[in-house]
Amino acid sequence: MIKSYKLRRNIANAIIYVILAIMGIIWVSPFAYLLMHSFRAEGLITVNYLIPHEWTFQNYIDLFTVKGSLNFPRWLLNTFVVALFSCVICTISVLAVSYTFSRLRFKARKKLMNVGMILGMFPGFMTMIAIYYLLKAMGLDRNLVALVICYSSGAGLGFQISKGFFDTIPRALDEAATIDGANKNQIFWKIILPMSAPIIVYTVLTSFIGPWCDFILARIIMGDRRDLYTVAIGLFDMKSEEFINTYYKQFLAGSVIVAIPITTLFMIMQKYYVEGVTAGGVKG
Amino acid sequence: MTFVEYKMLNPFQRFAYNFKKFFKGIPGAVAGFFKGVGNAIVKFFKGIAKGFANYGTTFVKGDWATKLSYLIFGVGDIHKGKVYKGILFFLVEVLYILYMVFFGWGFISKFGTLGTQATKTVYVNGFPHTEPGDNSMLILLYSVLTIVITVVVFAIYIANIKDAYKHQVMRANGEKPTGLKHDAKEFLDGKYHITLLSFPVLMICIFNILPLIFMILIAFTNYDKQHMPPGTLFTWVGFKNFGDLFHIVDGAKKGITFIKLTEWTIIWAILATFVNYILGMIVALMINKKGIKLKALWRTLFVIAIAVPQFVSLLLMNQMLATNGAINVLLTEITHLFGNEGLVEIQFLNSTPLMARATVVIVNLWVGIPYTILSMSGILMNIPEDLYESARIDGATPFKTFTAITLPYMIFVTTPQLITTFVGNINNFNVIYLLTQGGPSTQDYYQAGHTDILVTWLFKLSMTSQDYGLASAIGILVFIICGTISLIVYNNSKSMKDEEAFS
Amino acid sequence: MKTKQLLAMILAGMMTATAFAGCGGGGGTDQPSGDGGDGGDGGNSTALEVKENAIVDESVFGDEDNITLKVWAPEKAVDLTKKQIEDFKAAYPGKTFTNIEVVIQGEDSAATQILNDAEQAADVFGFASDQLNKLTDAGVIQEVAFVDYVTKTNVAETVTSATVNGKLYAFPETNDNGYYLVYDKSVVSDEQAKTLEGILEGCKAAGRKFIFDSGSPFFACTYAFTAGVKIDGFEEDGETQKFVDYDEDEAVATLQAFSKLMHDYKGTYASLGAAQIASGFSTGTCGAGVDGSWNTVPDQKALGDNYGAAKLPTINVNGTDKQLISMFGYKYIGVNAFSKFPRSAQILALYLTGDKCQKERTEEVGWGPSNLKVAGDEVVTSSPTLQAITAQAQNAVPQVNIAPTLWDPMGNLGNKLIADETDPTDTEFFRSLLKETIVNVKDEA
Repeated sequence: MIKSYKLRRNIANAIIYVILAIMGIIWVSPFAYLLMHSFRAEGLITVNYLIPHEWTFQNYIDLFTVKGSLNFPRWLLNTFVVALFSCVICTISVLAVSYTFSRLRFKARKKLMNVGMILGMFPGFMTMIAIYYLLKAMGLDRNLVALVICYSSGAGLGFQISKGFFDTIPRALDEAATIDGANKNQIFWKIILPMSAPIIVYTVLTSFIGPWCDFILARIIMGDRRDLYTVAIGLFDMKSEEFINTYYKQFLAGSVIVAIPITTLFMIMQKYYVEGVTAGGVKG
Repeated sequence: MTFVEYKMLNPFQRFAYNFKKFFKGIPGAVAGFFKGVGNAIVKFFKGIAKGFANYGTTFVKGDWATKLSYLIFGVGDIHKGKVYKGILFFLVEVLYILYMVFFGWGFISKFGTLGTQATKTVYVNGFPHTEPGDNSMLILLYSVLTIVITVVVFAIYIANIKDAYKHQVMRANGEKPTGLKHDAKEFLDGKYHITLLSFPVLMICIFNILPLIFMILIAFTNYDKQHMPPGTLFTWVGFKNFGDLFHIVDGAKKGITFIKLTEWTIIWAILATFVNYILGMIVALMINKKGIKLKALWRTLFVIAIAVPQFVSLLLMNQMLATNGAINVLLTEITHLFGNEGLVEIQFLNSTPLMARATVVIVNLWVGIPYTILSMSGILMNIPEDLYESARIDGATPFKTFTAITLPYMIFVTTPQLITTFVGNINNFNVIYLLTQGGPSTQDYYQAGHTDILVTWLFKLSMTSQDYGLASAIGILVFIICGTISLIVYNNSKSMKDEEAFS
Repeated sequence: MKTKQLLAMILAGMMTATAFAGCGGGGGTDQPSGDGGDGGDGGNSTALEVKENAIVDESVFGDEDNITLKVWAPEKAVDLTKKQIEDFKAAYPGKTFTNIEVVIQGEDSAATQILNDAEQAADVFGFASDQLNKLTDAGVIQEVAFVDYVTKTNVAETVTSATVNGKLYAFPETNDNGYYLVYDKSVVSDEQAKTLEGILEGCKAAGRKFIFDSGSPFFACTYAFTAGVKIDGFEEDGETQKFVDYDEDEAVATLQAFSKLMHDYKGTYASLGAAQIASGFSTGTCGAGVDGSWNTVPDQKALGDNYGAAKLPTINVNGTDKQLISMFGYKYIGVNAFSKFPRSAQILALYLTGDKCQKERTEEVGWGPSNLKVAGDEVVTSSPTLQAITAQAQNAVPQVNIAPTLWDPMGNLGNKLIADETDPTDTEFFRSLLKETIVNVKDEA
């Protein structure tokens, strides 16, 4: 009986290993393809075989040296700077809002939470024009500050997950601190935040990635200022009908360049990300 | 069931009870939601009426300074010794008047017509010059700005009156107003929520709410290709755009497109959410099964798909799915192994609607499953041990344990998340737009293709064909659907109900 | 903001005042021909005299000086445009040009960019003819001041295509924005390239593809046009697409013939994006294709000596060879209606589209000129590509007065013709497909 149970378990595990391996290959292979073909020397767009015949670094070299409509190093820098600033502002906003909703009790709290939750659901393409002209009225159109503002302005609306996380921190801690004479401000900074590493990392990570992925709003804000583009618009452009014949392989190389830092970051922070999303998700 | 009865159940039964209760509660929740909305509206108007009543009584009871506060902000406060607050109130009034005189009034005065003076071309010495006229879009936008500012200033105005009266009463009772230092401290403790919320809320007001109001108003105008600022004016048309969407007779393309796309959007959202959910859960269970090694490796393989920016992986997918793309090349090489000559050229994205839709759903699996795996893994590890314990005492088989504990627990815990994902998929722009751009195109729809969902249609209408009015109307409808669903679910979810569970 | 507006109003007022003063000064004679009169030419554009190389008298600038302009040019032409602007500056020594900036902006999306924010857009911009209606509808493009000169010096179609309600809105820049046949001479012989059947035979024999983007409306309307279903501007309401009279039986037979070829040469007749043609040449998977003029350079690079270009082939319908009729567009340079230097912008646009600049562009970038003088020049007659384009232009429907409802039905038509489940022998299917297409194009929606 015991033996057959063990055998059954082993067979089951073997099947699971096979399934996982196949799925793993399916999930990773597009990126393997991307990586290989970013080193491809021949052909313009597609080739009718899977593994490149000639390998070269030229696509990467072109990516960083060709000027003209392409200005990849500058775009990379722009995106990095924007991502850095907006993720600082986002994180502060999200933490402030979610702490408030989780810990502080005041009139209109529930109403604000409801409003905050549904506001983010409006499909926002139409509002982009409005945002552009508002920024313009402030003299902020066509510069990177505008992008930082755009990416971080709505951050407060994404409070659900971190509120869920804060909800799991026992209230007794707050109460003990209050008895010791701490005010709400001190509780927030000295007690709650130090315990919130997972959710801070989660927020930083998600808000840092945002600017690398937006290819619509940034284009509207930047207009013809190609030197202020972010990598997302740049890459999107390189794949447009106008440039695909010239820059497709550079597009592949650029995609790899963009994917590397984010993937690395993600791998390092994965543990926190899972903790954050779980803790917040279960409650939220 | 009474509390005592509840406490006497073992955790397993307790859980089953809660589980049942949640799903039983859904119809009631829906009804409750609409009742709540109704009540809120009634309450709102009652509040306004009460506000007016208070406004009058305060004026009658007020001394000269309080009365003067009705005209000049802050006088009451300054008179009662709360100088800094009075000055702030006064500054608000001054700034508001300056704003109105130099900026706001010029726009808000044209709000009713959205401009009458069209841009003209005049010839000066045989040379065409442009004589700029009104810009309807800026009039609308800055009018909305002015209205929002006015509402805020009005709120401050009321606060100013209340404050003046409060201090008048305090003085009558012989109390002294608090000083700046004391008030500042209060903002770090009792009123800490104001401190924390002020910045995010300000940003949200300017860059989310204001544009939103603007967009909602656009839906009632004829802002489209033929009425395009700065060259031409647009104006109010009432509910015409909504009428177009609900005008469903043969040959009325906009209406038919709307119905068909709504249908597909819902099918898409259901497929994208639940298939992802179930498959993701199965994979998560496999990875987390006891005895499976290299858990971190398996998870990492999937996580890569999250880490690579979505637009990169989707653009790549789009290329790979082309008739001469990598996937067809792969299939060709596989069939060659079986002695088949010739090329495999499956048109994944641009042949039949069914094929394209299936492809989109499958690619979305590839995109979405890793997210499910990540959150599920965490939850699986968090299932309370005592649930399993009591099941074991009851003598349940592993299969029974799974169907009776693991599965319901996961569904229960992740329901709110599931609904968020559902709403997210209704608005899932990236996957559709980057993969198919809505194609395969069809002549039966108005500016839309077979895989277009409402948001991508909205995007095309506003960005490619400049049908802003219609696009906004669609946006509002999508918003109403999504907003209602989420409000109902959130306000009845476990997290909202027992918010204090851990406290 | 308010002060800015006020300032602008005062300035505008002053300008008008000075303009009137100028008028009054020279107003003694009727319609003085603009030789040297200080901005004193009368109220009619015909009086604007243009000299050699599209240069005008400096007085045409009026009182504009310290000129700042922004120019949009596509990446390919940026360097050349910069050089041409230097020449432009040199041609007007009496004027100070503070800054004329050239910014990269694709001609395909110029209209979108201008509509987002006309104030920040370029003063002088290149765009493709399909965007003209968008620009005129929104009123962001300025009427052309030099109507007579432009009409006189350019190919007639390019001028009529830029004329809306009797007013000319843009300076023709090229007469080449269409598609033609490119082929690998080692696969398809020059003789074979004359018929669609020959091309397909050549490609099939070599195991190569013939690429024709049947799903793209811009390309796919060739099927309808060749069938005789040509568009002819608008009906009287100004928005419903009008068609020329056509013989339905013949149209159906033509569509059927196309579909039959697509199915007979399945695997050879490929519906892929035009960009894939150059890519296919470079990897040896493509033998011929119907490609746009914007891809000429990569095509040439990929094929080298084997590069062949010709007008579109013929197709055999019931024994007669019918020439394929394409859609043909043009490129223009437009002037932003909200330019702060409207006169300078016009003068620059005029210069950039003049014969000298067009010739330079043909020589260095390979664009087909719209200027009559340059079109007869040796640079054009010696280029196989430009010859192919010019020949095709004779067999084309100009891309003008297109209802937005044209595109989707045309793409649908192309997709249906090539679809696997279509039976090329089913005449009734093609008849109803044609009817459906026409109905949907005409739909007012």
